[in-house]
Amino acid sequence: MTKQIKDTSRRGALKTLAGGVAGAATMPLWARYAQAQTSEPIKIGFQVHRTGIGAAYGRWYGRTTEAAAKLINDNGGINGRMVEIVAEDDGTDPKRGAEVVEKFANQHGCDVGFGTLFSHVVIGSAPRAGELKLPYFVVSEGHHVASGMLNRYTLQPGITDVKSQVQAMAPYVASNLGKKVTMIFPDFAFGHDHRDFFTAAIEAQGGEVLEHIAIPPTETSFTKYFPKIPRETEVLYHVMVGPAVLTFVKELGEFFGPSRPEMFGFIDSLEAVDIASPGLEYLEGTYFWEGNPRHAQADQSDHDKAFRAAVGVNDRGASISDPADVSTYAHMFGCWETLHVIKAGMEASGYQGPGDRAALIEAVEGMTDMPESLAHPQGAKVFNGKTHQVFGHQYISKVEGGTLKRVHTTSIEDTLYPDETDYTTQSF
Amino acid sequence: MLYRVLTILGLSLCAGRVNAHASEQGFVLLLPTDVYIISGASSVALTIILLAFLPKRTTHFIFSPVLQWQTLRFPFRHLASLLSTVLLGTLVWQGFTGPRDPLANPMPLFVWTVWWIVLVSLQGLIGNLWSWTNPWTGIGFFLKRLTGSRAPLRYPRRIGYLPGIVIILLFAAFLLADPAPADPARLATFVGIYWYVALIGLVLFGPVWIVRGEAITILMRAYAKMGAVGRSRGKMSLGLPGWQIAKSPLPPLGLAIFILILLGSGSFDGLNETFWWLDVIGINPLEFPGRTAVTIQTLAGLVLANTALIAGFTACLWMGERIAGSQRSLRHAFCLFAPSILPIALGYHIAHYLTTLLVDGQYVLRFFNDPFFRDANLLGLSEVYVTTGFFNTPGTVKVIWLTQAGAVVAGHVIAILLAHSTALKDQARTNRALLGQAPLAIFMVAYTFFGLWLLASPRGF
Repeated sequence: MTKQIKDTSRRGALKTLAGGVAGAATMPLWARYAQAQTSEPIKIGFQVHRTGIGAAYGRWYGRTTEAAAKLINDNGGINGRMVEIVAEDDGTDPKRGAEVVEKFANQHGCDVGFGTLFSHVVIGSAPRAGELKLPYFVVSEGHHVASGMLNRYTLQPGITDVKSQVQAMAPYVASNLGKKVTMIFPDFAFGHDHRDFFTAAIEAQGGEVLEHIAIPPTETSFTKYFPKIPRETEVLYHVMVGPAVLTFVKELGEFFGPSRPEMFGFIDSLEAVDIASPGLEYLEGTYFWEGNPRHAQADQSDHDKAFRAAVGVNDRGASISDPADVSTYAHMFGCWETLHVIKAGMEASGYQGPGDRAALIEAVEGMTDMPESLAHPQGAKVFNGKTHQVFGHQYISKVEGGTLKRVHTTSIEDTLYPDETDYTTQSF
Repeated sequence: MLYRVLTILGLSLCAGRVNAHASEQGFVLLLPTDVYIISGASSVALTIILLAFLPKRTTHFIFSPVLQWQTLRFPFRHLASLLSTVLLGTLVWQGFTGPRDPLANPMPLFVWTVWWIVLVSLQGLIGNLWSWTNPWTGIGFFLKRLTGSRAPLRYPRRIGYLPGIVIILLFAAFLLADPAPADPARLATFVGIYWYVALIGLVLFGPVWIVRGEAITILMRAYAKMGAVGRSRGKMSLGLPGWQIAKSPLPPLGLAIFILILLGSGSFDGLNETFWWLDVIGINPLEFPGRTAVTIQTLAGLVLANTALIAGFTACLWMGERIAGSQRSLRHAFCLFAPSILPIALGYHIAHYLTTLLVDGQYVLRFFNDPFFRDANLLGLSEVYVTTGFFNTPGTVKVIWLTQAGAVVAGHVIAILLAHSTALKDQARTNRALLGQAPLAIFMVAYTFFGLWLLASPRGF
């Protein structure tokens, strides 16, 4: 049994992290079970996109969360208490999201809130979490956490942010694919982030962006934009999203034929879409950022194997019940890892109940290295307690024979950038 | 000729939409939907042309029941209704105490999937199942038996279907604009209060409240007229869906307006998700900000869509009456032809919700697999994950889309047949009278285009 630590300093929390984990591990398994079954559960409010624009992601976030909670409970829970996931639909709506956070804190007696993906819901909900002093663990990959826009109660310890992902691509692109880049992106915030982050990063590598082609979001045909791609383009960087992505690929193929420049994209465009789908043949030989390699690699780790088995996905990242049901593999590991960070944080701080929420935050802020493990199957990470943002390896895969084959793993250093905030200076 | 009409009907039946996923819509955008849309609208247009040359008795024949059988009136109708009330009570209770996840809690699953999608569709395809499942009639019957008292108040006949019209619009507003219509506790609150208010209406005004004021029953009874099975001359009868409408008396104006609202609201349910609508209201379809950001726009759109539909339909009738030179009042024509809109509304309802059913239906099965949340495995589904894989392959997406389109086209073909049959019943078949049907026929072909375009359009959520 872990003992409750009243000292909530970072050093104290870190010490407990080591001691607590070791303590729980030394207990006989039956004792952990017995304890777990008699105590009140740890309630984790899961803010899930069940309906609305995020529903497809929400389903996989749900599956991953259930699997992680089961694993944690099978191993004795947290501090000897079972984990109970309280799933509330936020409708992928920021106002509703704030209401859900309120329900977690006031109605359901949740210890923490967790799991939000879509940025506008995070940005709409985080202030309420801060007011209610509810630790709010998001899995959004937005830069809003690290940018300093949110508050001390909001953390992103299980998934890297888009700024670090984009900038980490530049060294590989510049040295392997080409230095003269044309970017095609949808003309709104998501596309603009890619435009700004990547342009700066490729210039730092001695490359340049020849042309920024912004596509209006309502567009469903793209042929008329392709003549704007300069002839000397060596790399086409594309981040189209939405229902017209398949049309985009098809029309790109019709435009370029076999003599295309190198192509680099973000898997977000084709998340949950089978890369071997008819119509996507043109992507053969092109490159993608992947948050986590969807297709099991030759050197697959045991942790990735166990993660897939627990969530119920096969070697191609699709559901074991239906091989056509492709998961959101590049993102969903974030739920798994975040739950494990919550567990580690609660164990480190000797978390007993809502009175220890500040201690929990301090414990997580005190974390730094997170080695690759079953708790972190995507790979090793480094947490920055000041910016509340985790940093980790990014993957670049090449489509070969309809399979995404990893060709590069970035270092964590490639993904770092100077701190933009220090949440630890904010009081609780 | 009849054979040909039926063949067209049959062909059109094998023919779509979605509420889930960018990938599925991606495959729809790759389908030659413009060709399908033109084919669909053409089959509706062809039906019109055929009808112009067919003898008068054709539609009469089409809408005659083919099978009739004698049945005893099942005496347990009110008991079944009481069971339905108990089920509803259990669902409301579960809404407050069961899982918070709307796809695990039986309250939203039963209301939005089992009732709103499945039961409404079956009601329209089969017949009046609502007479067994109505959660008010049984309790009303037994209350009356127990107390022996008559309704203390007289339903004000003058207001007719007005309460029903107001309630169905509120229902549509809840469905489309409420921030969380599937939230178990929120839904349980609304449903519980509505059930109780409607029961008070029944106690105060008697059964007339249920058929004039209670919108759900009005909706279900209207769709029951579309069903293949119904009563004719004291016998149970089976015929082409719509046959009961062809044989029904002229509906009152309120009911006629109610029917148009069914179609108007259903159409807006599809329209408000499209890139086109989101662009109109200045929303980026690739980052839909959520329902609460567009509440006013959605409510305004709902009112506008219904107003535009009623105005357009009335304008076509007005033009038709002018051309035909009939002596009927416009009001009479409106009531006469409004029921022919029902198959269009039903066809679109089925098409619009098919994809939702394919996904959420699996959650319903999962619920039945373990209805008491005790880790039971009654249907052997505990190891089976809910899938949306059929949205990810071109072949299945095509089948789904064509099925949806088939429902839309079949609805319009039946609507055309009904309108034709109605027109012939009410006036002599002269060339001028036939020509008078043209504006309504053009309206229906245009609506086919619209319905199929809705299915093919990219959507923001």
